[in-house]
Amino acid sequence: MIDRTVNEPEVAAVRGSRSDRARVTQLIVAVICIVAIVALPWACGDYGLTLATEIVIAGIFAAGLNVLIGYTGLASAGHAMFVGLGGYGIGIGSAIYGWPLWTSVPVSLVCVAAISAAVGAICTRTRGVEFLLITLAFCQMFFGAAVKLPLTNGTDGMAGIPRPDLSTLGLNSEIPAVFYVYVLTVALASFALLARIVQSPFGSVLVAIRENESRAVAMGYAVGPYKIGAFVLSAVICAVAGVLQAQYTYFINPDAMSWQASGEGILMVVIGGANAVMGPFIGAAVFVLVKQGLSLITSEYNLFFGVFFMLVIAFFRDGIVGTFRTLAGRRP
Amino acid sequence: MKSLQVRNLCKAFGGLEVISDLSLSVPEGQRRAVIGPNGAGKTTLFNLITGWESPTSGEILLNGGPLRPGRPDLVARRGLSRSFQKNMQLESLTVFENLRIAAQAFDASRRSFLGSPRDFPDVTRKAHEVAETMNLADCLDKPVRELSYGRKRQLEVAIALCAEPKILLMDEPAAGASPSERSSLIELITRLPTSLTVILVEHDMDVVFSVCDVITVLSYGKVLATGSKDEIQGNPEVIEAYLGKQHA
Repeated sequence: MIDRTVNEPEVAAVRGSRSDRARVTQLIVAVICIVAIVALPWACGDYGLTLATEIVIAGIFAAGLNVLIGYTGLASAGHAMFVGLGGYGIGIGSAIYGWPLWTSVPVSLVCVAAISAAVGAICTRTRGVEFLLITLAFCQMFFGAAVKLPLTNGTDGMAGIPRPDLSTLGLNSEIPAVFYVYVLTVALASFALLARIVQSPFGSVLVAIRENESRAVAMGYAVGPYKIGAFVLSAVICAVAGVLQAQYTYFINPDAMSWQASGEGILMVVIGGANAVMGPFIGAAVFVLVKQGLSLITSEYNLFFGVFFMLVIAFFRDGIVGTFRTLAGRRP
Repeated sequence: MKSLQVRNLCKAFGGLEVISDLSLSVPEGQRRAVIGPNGAGKTTLFNLITGWESPTSGEILLNGGPLRPGRPDLVARRGLSRSFQKNMQLESLTVFENLRIAAQAFDASRRSFLGSPRDFPDVTRKAHEVAETMNLADCLDKPVRELSYGRKRQLEVAIALCAEPKILLMDEPAAGASPSERSSLIELITRLPTSLTVILVEHDMDVVFSVCDVITVLSYGKVLATGSKDEIQGNPEVIEAYLGKQHA
């Protein structure tokens, strides 16, 4: 008791200095990242811009998936279905029916929200491996529908998906640098929204569910609607990535909602680190860069990527962001 | 007024009847202990009362109204809060975060998507008050996983108190606690508001005899005896089935 009283100010001072140091480190990293991201169009060639655009789109997908994996503790193996649904939504709306993007994009996202609420209401009744498998099953169902339905043009997919018309701003989104800035703007808005939601009381309930669902129930929370809410939020963010992906390639086909694509999302979250909004984005960057780098060296890049993933799991158990947070004195 | 009434409650798991035609009533403000040997059905009784299990037959009434079986969240919202036999906290969060999330469950802010927890000072105040009551104010910023076992037991009760319950059910709150932590727990339970009904499952007879007015003894899922400390200590059936000679 006496010891605790004597040491308390010292402990508080040490904790305070650690937390100040962590805050400064975080600020420096954030400034470097923002400068690097914004300067990219001027510093890189077309190849660099291509990679950066892919990273940002993949980062949105992974950040959406992380609402479930990192914050709610539900690992989905089928979330690429919502990337595909977002892409097909804008494809059907704009390329087939000729709707303007300001109509087809919101309609797509509302449809994804409705579909994901129905899918989530079923899936969130399960946990663990069952949740993983049931989300995978739904993903395969949508994949099968995309392959078979005449509306989606089967495995050939849909072409001619338009990019946004930015002429009122004096910009042309066909120019890679302009499209990159457009994607980046959408990404920043998505990350800001996600950061706000995960830090809200709603977000804290998701964390409680992840930590101990029974305790959350005993506290008086009806956890079902919260889990469905997390599922829908996650799906809509993934659909935003799908819309951007379809605009980026002017194309969407069933591969966008394959189980491999879902698996890649999980890898990005694990590599970057769950429990942090920016973790999946870092994971997406590492994933895209390592995959591209390895593919330049060997055609069997998947083999080496597997080794890389194992090393990350072995040495960065909390992901890259989690490990650096721990090193900087913050809890993961 | 009878705060909690259990009428003819039965619970069977397959062919095994764990609770058999059990009835009891606990008036408002009473400190009631439920004791008995392992397997007597104490925790199952708690699980039935708090909605974690559904009874095979019988009913449970809170202030005259039936409690909905199988929905522990709704039971908690009716004012019946519990602590668990095993620590069930949000381990990687801090003590304060645990208390804030528990306090927030009964506040309209629990549905806020975009607000910051700082926007809801009432929730924060309640979390701080409970921390003071349960002597946890000095470790609010500590992650739960860094707490000692005894402090986790304190937090377990504190989380239940955040709900501002009418009835608090504590399942072996002193289990695994050191003698000093046990004394501190007795003091804390004694200090709880007298309007709060407390029902306690506990094997530690010092805790039971120190804090409870009435004791119910269960054996094989049935009420063996109910009475004051002296009545229970002098009951030959209870001595034979559970207490033994040292507590008689």
